[in-house]
This record gives sequence, C-alpha cells and structure tokens, in this order.
Amino acid sequence: MCLAVPGIIVSIDSAWAQVDVIGVLNTVNIQLIDEPAVGDCVLIHAGCAIQKISSDNFSFLSSILSEFLIGAEKNE
Amino acid sequence: MNKAILIKKIINEIHQSSIEKLNIMEVCGTHTQAISRSGIRSLLPPNLVLLSGPGCPVCVTDESLIDAAVEILRNDIILATFGDMVRIRGSLESISDQLHKRKNIFVLYSPLDCLELARDNPDKQVVFFAAGFETTAPGIALTVKLAYEENLHNLSFLTSLKLMPPVLHKILREKQKKIHGLICPGHVAAVMGAGYFRFVAGEYGINAAVCGFEPLDIASGLLFLTKKISSGYESAFANLYESCVSEEGNETAREIMMQVFDIADGNWRGIGEIKKSELFLNENYCSFDALKKFNIRPDKFVSDQRCNCSDVILGNIMPYECRLFGKACTPQKPAGPCMISSEGSCSAYYRYWEAGL
Repeated sequence: MCLAVPGIIVSIDSAWAQVDVIGVLNTVNIQLIDEPAVGDCVLIHAGCAIQKISSDNFSFLSSILSEFLIGAEKNE
Repeated sequence: MNKAILIKKIINEIHQSSIEKLNIMEVCGTHTQAISRSGIRSLLPPNLVLLSGPGCPVCVTDESLIDAAVEILRNDIILATFGDMVRIRGSLESISDQLHKRKNIFVLYSPLDCLELARDNPDKQVVFFAAGFETTAPGIALTVKLAYEENLHNLSFLTSLKLMPPVLHKILREKQKKIHGLICPGHVAAVMGAGYFRFVAGEYGINAAVCGFEPLDIASGLLFLTKKISSGYESAFANLYESCVSEEGNETAREIMMQVFDIADGNWRGIGEIKKSELFLNENYCSFDALKKFNIRPDKFVSDQRCNCSDVILGNIMPYECRLFGKACTPQKPAGPCMISSEGSCSAYYRYWEAGL
C-alpha cells in the first residue's frame, strides 16, 4: 500500500493538477508539496503528490513502471 | 548495461561474500511483494535469510477496529476503505461479510475520493476506514482538513495509522531473532526523510539502507548490507533511493499530518500495544472521529492463537513455519491477515511458491 508512481504535472487548477503517468492523465492533489508548477515531476501516492523528483529520476522511474506494467500484462 | 545482467552480477557478488549466517529484514510489505515477485529470494545464498517485517498496514490493523467497522455498518451508512481492508476478519466477521446484507461499501484508491462520496450523499453518513503508515497518513490528514474546511458533517474517519519507528524499536530491542541488516521502507522515507531511520544504525548498531522497490534497487541494497556486514561494519547507513528520498523528506506533508493528528499508544494486531506508535485525530478534528460519532468503544480482542501472523511480521518465523500455511490458510481461504493482504508475507510466499511446497 506504500507504493508510489511517478508523474509529470501537465496543468494546475488551484489545489489539483492534471498529472501524466506514463501517458495517462490523472487528477492529483498537490497540497502536500511546496510550490508545484507545470512541468514538475512528482511521486504520487493514493491520489496525492507526496514528493517532487528530478527529471532524470522521473525518466528512470517511469521506465521501471512501464516495464512493470508490460510484465504484468504478459502474466495475465 | 542490461538490468538483468546487472542484477546477476550483484547476486554473484553477494554469493562471494564471506558470511556465515545473515538475517536481513525488509520492513515494508511492498518490498516483501517485490522480492517475491522478482524471484530474488530464490537466487540468494541459503545463509542469507530475508525476514519480513511489520510494514503491511492491513496486517497490523487491530481486530477491534474491523469489529468497529462492522458495528458501524449496522447503521444505514456508506463505508469506504482501501481494497485489502474489506477481506480482513475482525473477531468474527469481515467488512466483505456485510455485502450480502446489502450494505453500502466502497473501495477507493484515494482517500480524497470520500469527499465526493460525502457531497453526493448529503442525507447519509459516510465513514472512511483508513489504514496506513507515514506514506499514507499525510493524504488522510489532508482529506480530514478539506472535510473540515468544507463543513462536511456527514463524513467521518475510522483510522489505523501506524508509525514505523516504535515497532522497529520493539523488534530490535527484544532481539527474538538476531537481525544483521534492515531494508528501510522507501516511500515512508520519501515523506519522513532518510534520517528518520538512522536510529537503526545509531542506536542498535545494525546496518541499514533505504531502498527503492525495483529488483535492482533491492539487490543493490542487499549487496550494500552484505558487504558492510562481512567487512565487520555494525552501524553503516545509506540512502540508496536518492531518486525519491532526501535526508529531510517532505516537510509540508509532515506539517499537515501533525496539524490533524496526535501521536498516542496504538494497538497492533497480534503484537499488542506499542507506546506512541499511532496517529489519532487531535481535538480540533475529533468531530470527524467515527468512533466518537457512532459512540463505539473498540473492545480489546485476543488474536486467534492458531494463526502465527504476529510471529511472521516480527521476523520470528518464516511464513511456511506457521502450521496453517498452505493447509488451513491459503489466499482462497485465508486464516490470517498476512495471507489476505496482497502485501502480506504469507500471501507473497504462497503466490510465488517460495515455501518449497
């Protein structure tokens, strides 16, 4: 339950952001992080952005998530 | 370099370490699941034993709170919770047992979704049953704050929000099984900071590493710990998940968490009371406490002694050493929480066939 996924903020509307998680847009609350901005890379847990991450780390974590999902599809 | 080759090289290096017997505990349920799914456990030398820790929030939610949720469901209310929580039994029944009684039960991904549920059902009381550790607690705190600001009087919270350090102190102090190294939970550290776990090395002289959840992260963590231990280090600490974890963590998230919750003694399923180990709604937000709203006092409950889940999550026994494992306790017919939750160690061992059955 403590799993978090990486995403990139696409747009912001007050306390909420549209966040791209490997190509899928999600509505995510951004009140738990400081000074969120469009283009920021974040870690998302249970609908909230819980930490900002660097773009290098975002690319790395996104590739892991994609690999994981491809693996899960193969197992189904 | 290909990641699989890199992992193979790391595992080979672990095999070459001069260690006699090594017990390494992975605290987080997500780590337990990742270790089993990736098959890392089966690649390790037999003298390196991975013990599961108490980091599955569903597994440590006290029976009395499940009973309280079932009791609350006797009213005409809406109960919302996270997925695995519905199957865990209290003293007699689980939340899912209430489904055939036509009770309104919703499984949510985000606690914030319960705000909409309350808005859409103004004539009904909505209760969110929240379980989690420091990763999840800030999101719950934010939801409570937003409900308060919006005057959502038909929403309340039943909470089982635990803190990691007190239960780790208990495990490391009681030393029922010698633990040589600890893999610390990466996303708890993302919120609380890597420094939150430095006490493991500083106070107990046990090597520890904050790790991510990818097989390469875990293998690297195991190599770090194996190297340090075989070289005679006793209190090495490393943050190997710097991509997500800073030394200080997320201060904003922690502030919101502590605006809403107080820390007090908590009951852990199968373990008992642990001092200052749980978050409870503070006096400013106590009107959102479902136990108070529905006037319920959870009874202390003695766990089913046939089930050894408590020994499993304290690292005292391996899942397959429980006499119910794989016989009277399977994912289809689970006897204990570690077999029910997808992050429970018994479930991980069973599903990935790691028990040598």
